Amino acid sequence: MKKRLYLELENCIGCRSCLAACTQCGGHEERNRNYVYDVNPLVNRQTMPLMCLHCVNPACARSCPAQAIQIHETGAVLSALVEKCIGCQNCTIACPYGIPKFDTEQNLMYKCDLCIDRTKDGIPPMCASVCPSNTLQWLTDEEIEAKQKQFNLDNGKWVTSMPYLEGETNVRVNLPGILQGVTKLF
Amino acid sequence: MHTNTSMNKKTGRSIDNAFASKFAKSMFLSVSAIVILSFIATRMFTHVDLNLYGYMVGTIVFIGGFFYRFIAWGERPPTKIFIKKGLKLLKRKSTPKTAVNHLAIYDFIKNRGLYRWVQHILIGWGCVLACLVTFPLVFGWMYFTMDDNGHYTIVLMGLNLMTVKADGIIAWLSYNALNIAAIMVTAGVCMALHRRLKNMQARAEQKFIYDFLPLYLLLFISITGLLLTVQNVFLHGWMQPQMSLIHQFSVIVTLIYLPFGKLAHIPFRPVSVFARNYREHYAEQEEKKCKVCGDHFVSVEQSNDVIQVLGVNAIEFNMEDGFNLAELCLPCRRKYRISRFSGFATHQVKVKGANQNAKG
Ligand code: SF4
Ligand code: SF4
Ligand code: SF4
Repeated sequence: MKKRLYLELENCIGCRSCLAACTQCGGHEERNRNYVYDVNPLVNRQTMPLMCLHCVNPACARSCPAQAIQIHETGAVLSALVEKCIGCQNCTIACPYGIPKFDTEQNLMYKCDLCIDRTKDGIPPMCASVCPSNTLQWLTDEEIEAKQKQFNLDNGKWVTSMPYLEGETNVRVNLPGILQGVTKLF
Repeated sequence: MHTNTSMNKKTGRSIDNAFASKFAKSMFLSVSAIVILSFIATRMFTHVDLNLYGYMVGTIVFIGGFFYRFIAWGERPPTKIFIKKGLKLLKRKSTPKTAVNHLAIYDFIKNRGLYRWVQHILIGWGCVLACLVTFPLVFGWMYFTMDDNGHYTIVLMGLNLMTVKADGIIAWLSYNALNIAAIMVTAGVCMALHRRLKNMQARAEQKFIYDFLPLYLLLFISITGLLLTVQNVFLHGWMQPQMSLIHQFSVIVTLIYLPFGKLAHIPFRPVSVFARNYREHYAEQEEKKCKVCGDHFVSVEQSNDVIQVLGVNAIEFNMEDGFNLAELCLPCRRKYRISRFSGFATHQVKVKGANQNAKG
């Protein structure tokens, strides 16, 4: 059963378990590839994770002169192939969300690969495995559809890829509470 | 879109019209160059070693594969930009240093781990050494003639390069260059295989065809090559013709595979020098300021190139608020995305974002 990473952004409690878990994925060489931001740092404690959304037409891969960023058959946009990346950093400035990280010492870009070693076998990525608040989940399309119904999001406020993002993505993003002004118990 | 421009260019130049394609032209020129060089070097084909015939065919097939793969690659819009501008910037003062760093001593691999660096030096330089010996011999660019007084003459490009004693150190090194290369490659490949089997970081991402096959091919070549020497020295040449065929076969298969798999990074790695020059040169020219925080984050040239490349792919990031995402530095771009999710302008808050490195 094909599953997707699904984000319910306003659940995030800012524990940063997702960052720590990311470092532990095989092939990540103990460095995290995702972000957690304070939404309004001087006023409240709301945080939101920022992940690679695994674009269907990924700007990072399209801008790479070395074809170092491969797209896996699951739709995951992989990290740079170590022997191909020529260190030009095109990808970092092409990504609309500023996701790819660059290591100048190693002359190598690295980015979220959706823990491809796990997700290719249907195991959830590290971040979704550890998130205590259900911000990051690993769901089938049917389950995501059920979420959509559950939160009664037929008012055009369902932020799931199009038309709210820059392009179609393989990760689904959703913000049921904040945009509707609804307090949500999950 | 880019096909149009290359068409226009083509009609402007008549020599290009003589060939059906760039591929045909490159193929023709390289094969002619090899034939002409061999003609000169072998004193009009009088010193050709026909035992090495298989390698010749293998090389020609390799050149075909190489151009097929790399012309397609070079036509991709981002690649084209780097090759074009990189060639222009080759005269930069830093080029030799960058080239040595990237192509000979691989400092950046050392930063990925000493083990990986040693392994890469052994494999890389072993292969270079082997090619430097084999191909000149195959095409007759270099050969040895024996004088009667226990001396050899090394002939390079048809010129007597030097005369060496048959039992001298230079002679010994020349006979054994391929053995030394084979031992280096074998050691390096064994290190790589050990890492691929034991290291959990490496194991997570590897695939058999992509990561193991090239290692096994190199191992196959090295072992059969070493066996040839063993047969020669210890077994009085027993079964040597057969082994020689197997060895040739292994080399030819690898040459055919080379432009398509992991080994393809060898001929294409010099572009990393272009990329470094490109970044250094244009960063000195003019840097782009982030529209929100004012930080310099990339050269104006590269920013424009990326916007253009994405445009070719029908990707454009013009925002409703009247700017292009490419005008934001990376942290601001991330905060801007958060702001689009939350409706609150996170990127406008003048506070440094929290540390995004899990190690703190
Ligand atoms: S693990 Fe979940 S709750 Fe914790 S910071 Fe990450 S997304 Fe937020
Ligand atoms: S979000 Fe950025 S890094 Fe991820 S696939 Fe899209 S363009 Fe690439
Ligand atoms: S930094 Fe590496 S992965 Fe990124 S565009 Fe350049 S070559 Fe490709």
